[in-house]
Amino acid sequence: MMSPADLARRAAPVFACIGLLAIWQIASLALKNDSFPTAIEAIRAIPDILGDKEALINILASLRRMAIGFGVAVLFSIPLGLLMGRSRAVAAFFNPLLMIIYPVPKAALMPIIMLWLGVGDITKTLVIFLGVSLPVIYHSFEGAKAVEEKMLWSGAAMGLSPLQRLVRIVLPAALPEILTGCRTGLVLALITMITSEMIARQSGAGNILFNALDMGQYDTVFAMIIIVGAMGICLDAAFERIRARLVRWSEPQFDLPLSFS
Amino acid sequence: MTARLLPTNVALGLVPIVLVIAVWQGLVSSGLAPAALLPPPGAVFGRLLQQLVTWTFQQEIAATLFRLFAGFAIAVALGVGVGIAAAANPAINAIVRPIVRVLAPLPKVALYPALLLLLGFGHGSKITLVAADALFPILLSTYYGASTVEQKLIWSAMAAGTPRYEILFKVVLPAAMPSILTGCRIGLVISCIVVFLAEMITSTDGLGHVLVTAARTFQAVDMFVPLITISLLGLILNGLLGTLRSYLLRGFPEA
Amino acid sequence: MKVVPSRSSEWVRPVTPQKPASAIIEIDHVSQVFQTSSRRDHLALSDISLTIEERAFVSILGPSGCGKSTLLYIVGGFVSPTSGAAKMKGKAITGPGPDRGPVFQEFALFPWKTVFGNVMYGPRQQGVRTAEAEAQSLALIEMVGLKGYENFYPKELSGGMKQRVALARTLAYHPEVLLMDEPFGALDAHTRTRLQNDLLNIWERDRKTVLFVTHSVDEAVFLSDKVVMMSKSPGRIRQVIDIDLPRPRRRSELLLDARYQEYVVDIERMFDESDEAGSPP
Repeated sequence: MMSPADLARRAAPVFACIGLLAIWQIASLALKNDSFPTAIEAIRAIPDILGDKEALINILASLRRMAIGFGVAVLFSIPLGLLMGRSRAVAAFFNPLLMIIYPVPKAALMPIIMLWLGVGDITKTLVIFLGVSLPVIYHSFEGAKAVEEKMLWSGAAMGLSPLQRLVRIVLPAALPEILTGCRTGLVLALITMITSEMIARQSGAGNILFNALDMGQYDTVFAMIIIVGAMGICLDAAFERIRARLVRWSEPQFDLPLSFS
Repeated sequence: MTARLLPTNVALGLVPIVLVIAVWQGLVSSGLAPAALLPPPGAVFGRLLQQLVTWTFQQEIAATLFRLFAGFAIAVALGVGVGIAAAANPAINAIVRPIVRVLAPLPKVALYPALLLLLGFGHGSKITLVAADALFPILLSTYYGASTVEQKLIWSAMAAGTPRYEILFKVVLPAAMPSILTGCRIGLVISCIVVFLAEMITSTDGLGHVLVTAARTFQAVDMFVPLITISLLGLILNGLLGTLRSYLLRGFPEA
Repeated sequence: MKVVPSRSSEWVRPVTPQKPASAIIEIDHVSQVFQTSSRRDHLALSDISLTIEERAFVSILGPSGCGKSTLLYIVGGFVSPTSGAAKMKGKAITGPGPDRGPVFQEFALFPWKTVFGNVMYGPRQQGVRTAEAEAQSLALIEMVGLKGYENFYPKELSGGMKQRVALARTLAYHPEVLLMDEPFGALDAHTRTRLQNDLLNIWERDRKTVLFVTHSVDEAVFLSDKVVMMSKSPGRIRQVIDIDLPRPRRRSELLLDARYQEYVVDIERMFDESDEAGSPP
């Protein structure tokens, strides 16, 4: 049973979408700029893109790379982050290196990695992997660091080995924070995917976007923006649902994502 | 204790960096990686030092920094302003919240083509992209900080005779400062990344453009130089922000 | 000034018999309803009427959850009652004001200000001239025993010192009434005793009106002229007891005083009885 207030809160993002599209529509009508189609024109162009077999394959290939890059990054980063959070030595070992890598745009490594590995899937997936890893490591690190020492003592008293303590105490205790990192990483995976395709300009969603820009198909450009935007919003919403289920026990968290590239 | 611990930690932290450079050098020396694909580290750092003193390269850095600061400044002003307003006023909150929910997970780079069409290929579109990307972490952490200010701090100030509108500046803003600065730190790193990417996608100057130019002519050495430069810039800016942070938060515990 | 008759007025006796005391705070049929998270109404305070005389030290004593802090917040103007009204010197309380200074259990010091900056906040807000405000603040810091700590930040102080700063910060804008919300609740027993003594010494100087919330029976008896006993769910006034002990009070002497012991035992017995009676949840 949903109360009217709950219903209004759930529907609010939908209204926000409609409102933003309406502002777009009005702005483009007011500007009368050839290269700025109205929202309705852009929405009309969406079926054309999704109906085009090649474009669809391109987009799906992008999503596959993203999923692989994200998955591998999560599997790699969570253990590393947890270890860093529980061992000062491990943290001291990796922190400076991560600090140096942090402000480097991962997609900017594309040209160099392309030199070594070519323009194929491996390069793009690797770049996505790099982009996702850092926030996941960072949040796992913070989460593991904040785990109550006494909880681990109780674990040790119960006869858990260090590895067991890491998996059975630290991992679940740090899970809310880890999932926050994963959520950031997910948005980041999408961003890195688009950017890498914008730079490599060979295939994928980012490529469609920029080819359309070069060819002056402005409604396709804006339609692609809507598609990519919708992907971001849907992925985030889906992840949020999973997150909410997994950490039902934890304090209600701040329910807005902290996305960044 | 800490005095003895610190150098050990620093030494430990240097190990992986030294290791990376050693492996890099090893790959080149052993001939496993041809110098055209992986130039030796000595050559890269030499080139970096050589470039840093040239006027043209400094111009590129200046262009990048200008866009970075302009975008970051807009993001800070908007993010802190809107974040505090949304925390203080339920009506503003009701409007801002759903919009942020929609816009925050949107990959902002995808908007770049639209920005190019609307604002042209100059500074405007890049600064807007930087601001759009850095805005949300700052806005969200400001909002979070401002909406979790301890009620009794506000009550104490009100009892001392502070009018309601002054509470915002005299209590809410300073009390939310740790959170705001955390947001700014994330926003700053994002600004570094985004400005570089925007310059890579379309630009005629800036560090990102230097990388693209080098990539077109397969000058491996010159591709590393802008990357190391942006990493150094990020470290320096992060350090400056850290100094500012520890000054502003000198009264806060664990700052 | 019109004194509203209230349930407790029969208990009130002038603190200084020479001149009749007048009511400074009147609480008139105040009730407070909160919504719980499951959206059920919870009656936190039920029909409270209480009059507080000028220059009296009054404690509100009760188990946790009896709404004693809420009552204090209503007098402070931080919370508006669901029904009824609180008045300060005959004027309805509509919000916080510098005539009523709070001291919270959580200290609530501004972490970004030094000890001196915290104490200066009130006078500055009141528009007191800088030189005057500075002199007063320094004097207050000395009075609460923190001379030499002016430039320390709250995080560098112990709990007891923080509460001293909080008291100085509130005294700095000369409130007519001090509203103390379990001020020593977060302190260890030793510090607590010292602060109780110091508070009484400070209070003896100008005898401001104090409304003091606590759940400690001997703290209430030791400090107060009058103890308001509250019971829980819903929060009601059970009884108001005058503490007829000589002042200035010394804790070491008082502990041996048969009347003091009697007050403490009587009050504790009354709470025990109500616990045994067991109010339905």
